[in-house]
Order: sequence, then C-alpha cells, then structure tokens
Amino acid sequence: MAMIAIDNISKWYNPTFQVLKDCTTSVDKGEVVVVCGPSGSGKSTLIKTVNALEPIQSGTITVDGISVTAAKTNLPNLRSRVGMVFQHFELFPHLRIVENLCLGPEKVLGRSHDAAMAKAEKMLERVGLTKHAQKYPGQLSGGQQQRVAIARALVMDPICMLFDEPTSALDPEMINEVLDVMVELAKEGMTMMVVTHEMGFAKKVADRVIFMDAGEIVEDARKDDFFGTPRSPRAQAFLSKILAH
Amino acid sequence: MFSDFDFGVIWRSLPYLFEQGMSFTLTLTVIATIGGIILGTLIAMMRLSSKPILSGFAASYVNVMRSLPLVLVIFLFYFLMPYIGQWIIRADRPIQVGALSSTMVTFTLFEAAYFSEIMRAGIQAIPRGQVSAGYAIGLNYREVMRFVVLPQAFRNMLPVIFTQTIVLFQDTSLVYVLSITDFMGAASKIAQRDGRLTEMYLFAACIYFIICFTASTLVKILQRRVSIVR
Repeated sequence: MAMIAIDNISKWYNPTFQVLKDCTTSVDKGEVVVVCGPSGSGKSTLIKTVNALEPIQSGTITVDGISVTAAKTNLPNLRSRVGMVFQHFELFPHLRIVENLCLGPEKVLGRSHDAAMAKAEKMLERVGLTKHAQKYPGQLSGGQQQRVAIARALVMDPICMLFDEPTSALDPEMINEVLDVMVELAKEGMTMMVVTHEMGFAKKVADRVIFMDAGEIVEDARKDDFFGTPRSPRAQAFLSKILAH
Repeated sequence: MFSDFDFGVIWRSLPYLFEQGMSFTLTLTVIATIGGIILGTLIAMMRLSSKPILSGFAASYVNVMRSLPLVLVIFLFYFLMPYIGQWIIRADRPIQVGALSSTMVTFTLFEAAYFSEIMRAGIQAIPRGQVSAGYAIGLNYREVMRFVVLPQAFRNMLPVIFTQTIVLFQDTSLVYVLSITDFMGAASKIAQRDGRLTEMYLFAACIYFIICFTASTLVKILQRRVSIVR
C-alpha cells in the first residue's frame, strides 16, 4: 500500500501562474523516491504539499491512508508523524541542540522530559553529534546543523521522511556527512521522498526517480530505467547536463 | 552665580521626592511596560492575522493611538472612562475612576500601540522557514508562536523595547495634568511651595538624566549579550 499517494494535484500561485500541473505519483512503504529537475520545476513545492506546508487547489494527497487535503484532517497530528528536513536546516536558533530535539516530543507527543531527553541523546549519537548537545545551532557547521535537523525529525518516530534539497545549502565538503546519514536511513527501510540534485545518492539508494519540469512530472521510473534510458528528451537533456562531469 | 540658590531644599525634600514621587513614576513605568508588551504582542498578532476583521481592528487601533498626543489621551480617558465603565457594567450612573487607575490603564493602552509595532517588526523578521519548521514537527499556530516565533522576536527586539521603555519613563511626567504626584509632580510641588523653582527643576533634570543615561548604556551592553548566534 502506498505510504504517500499524490493524486492529480494542481497548484496556482495566482490565477495565472500554475506551479504544479496534474501531478500524480506515490511512494510505497519502505521505498526511497528521489525527485529531481531543474530549478523552478516545482519539485520543492511538490514535496511541501505532502505535509500541507503548501496548500493545493485541486487533487488529493493521502499519507498512510489519511487525507492531507480534507478540511477535517488534524494537520498537526499528521505532520507530527511525517519527518521533514529543509534546505536551510531551520533549527530553532534560540534553543540548544538538545532543546531543539525535545520540543516536538514534549509539546506535540506529550512525552515526559526524561523520555524526550533519552530519545534526543540516542538520535544525536546516531548522527554523531553527542558532544554538541548543549550548543546552539549557530555554533555548528552547516553539515552538523543539517544532521541535527534530521535527528529532530527522527525523535518523532516518523512513518516517512521528506527531504527538501537537504544538501543544497551546504559547502561541498559537508555534503557527504549528511548523505551518509540519509543512506543509513534508507538502508534501514525508512520511507523517503527526497528532492535533491545528488545523483550519486539517487544511484546508490533510490528505488525510483521522478523527474519534474515546469510543474509537471515528466518521468517517473525505476532507478535503473531512469539512469539507463530515460524516455523523455527533457530528462535526457537534464541528465546529460548534471552528469557531464 | 549660584549664590542666590538654596540647594538645601533638595536635601530636605528627598524623602518626599523619592518615596512619593519616584515610586509612582517607576510603578507606572513598570505596569505600562509589562501591560503594553502583552497587549501590544496580541495586537501585533491580530495585525498579522489573515482575518480582515482582526487585522483591520488592530491597524485602526494602532493608527488612532499613534496619531493622538499622549496628553490628550490622558485627559480623554480620564473623562471618558467613567462613562465607558458605566456602559460595560450597565450601571445607572458613571462609575468612579481614580486618577491613578485611570493613568495606569491609559498608559498601558497607549504604549500597547507602540509596543505592537515593535513586536510586529520582530515577528515579521523571523524567516518563514522557522514557521514551516515549527508546523512540520506538529506544532499548531499557537505553539509555533509561543515556542518558535515570539521568543526569537522578543529577544531580537529587546533593545528596542528597552529604548521604548526609557521614552515611556520620561513620558510618565505628563501625569501632572491630572495633578498626580509622580517624581516630576513632587519636584514641582516643592518648587512652588518653597519658591525654589530653578533648584528643583535642575535637580529633577539631573535625576532623569542619570536614570535614562544609565539605562540606555545598559541597553547597549544587553544588546551584545542577548543577540542570538546565527
């Protein structure tokens, strides 16, 4: 059964500019799907619609069988089960690392402070940042901040994870430390939808690749098919550009 | 040139000036600051609301308050409040409102307009991604405001808030129009009773200067210490 089902969605920023055009796709449980495409193609917008950070005007989205688009859906509840990692980390700069990790579990999931702390420490250890627990986000490097952001999503025990260009704002030497954590997650069977330009990551762990252009899903294929023989000329052109080096 | 002056009058009236006068000035400043920040934050949130009724009301409130001189507002509320009170509790006649409670309410309402503009700027300066991140971990609007946006906005705006408080501290001297004994009023009364106007006003000026200058120096130090590491 599809963990994330996106059915025929469209979004307009104003009556004239359509950012998403009749997009349909799905992500099965345990599947890793990479979304790529040129900038402005709507891939970030698409991933943000999955937890309703971007509203849509038509179509439906369900996550774990629950409608994201229905008016009566408890969105905070749904979002608390979907982990999200942003391009610019978006850690809370006024809170220590460990407080960043405890906020959701304590205020949203209602866990005790001790339980939240235990979980936070476990997840910090997992992303290799135990000794930074008492620091503030501004004291960490970009790569470290993004790993904390992943840990902040993981402490909520998410049923799936959304990554919105998680390495685009990073210096080149920090990209791998973040990708390593993501590869690890993928291997453990986490359901992941990842907007990224890192084709190495896609080749390594993706099950499927979605290629978007001008608000449309142009190609939605198994990884091997996508990298082997993409059918659409636009995907071919895109791949030849970014795989040129 | 100061040979005609009698500075002894200051010494003799010190207890009255500070116990009566300054204690009221400080009380009014503290109450109007705290009340103004709380009310101002609510107004700022209303102003930024997507509901036209809320944002319209907040905008009109702020615009009206900021367009009127404080002295006028002090007078107006003093004379209006008995009638407003009568209307609220549906009494038979205008209720009694003392000058003291009237000024407390007036200053709080007046300062709320200024604090709301400060808080609005502070809230708007928080990147949108922070709000998204708050929602993404499952917080609702109130929780995003309380745990993510307002603490950052408040800390970023703290120096401006304190500067506004210093202005407020000086503005409290306007309560003389209701014959309330604040620090300025107390100095003024002694000055006229003893015919020592120059001495008392000089002294009052010195005290206001010392307090305000010290406070604004502290604000500068504070500014360096509270800023969030980014």
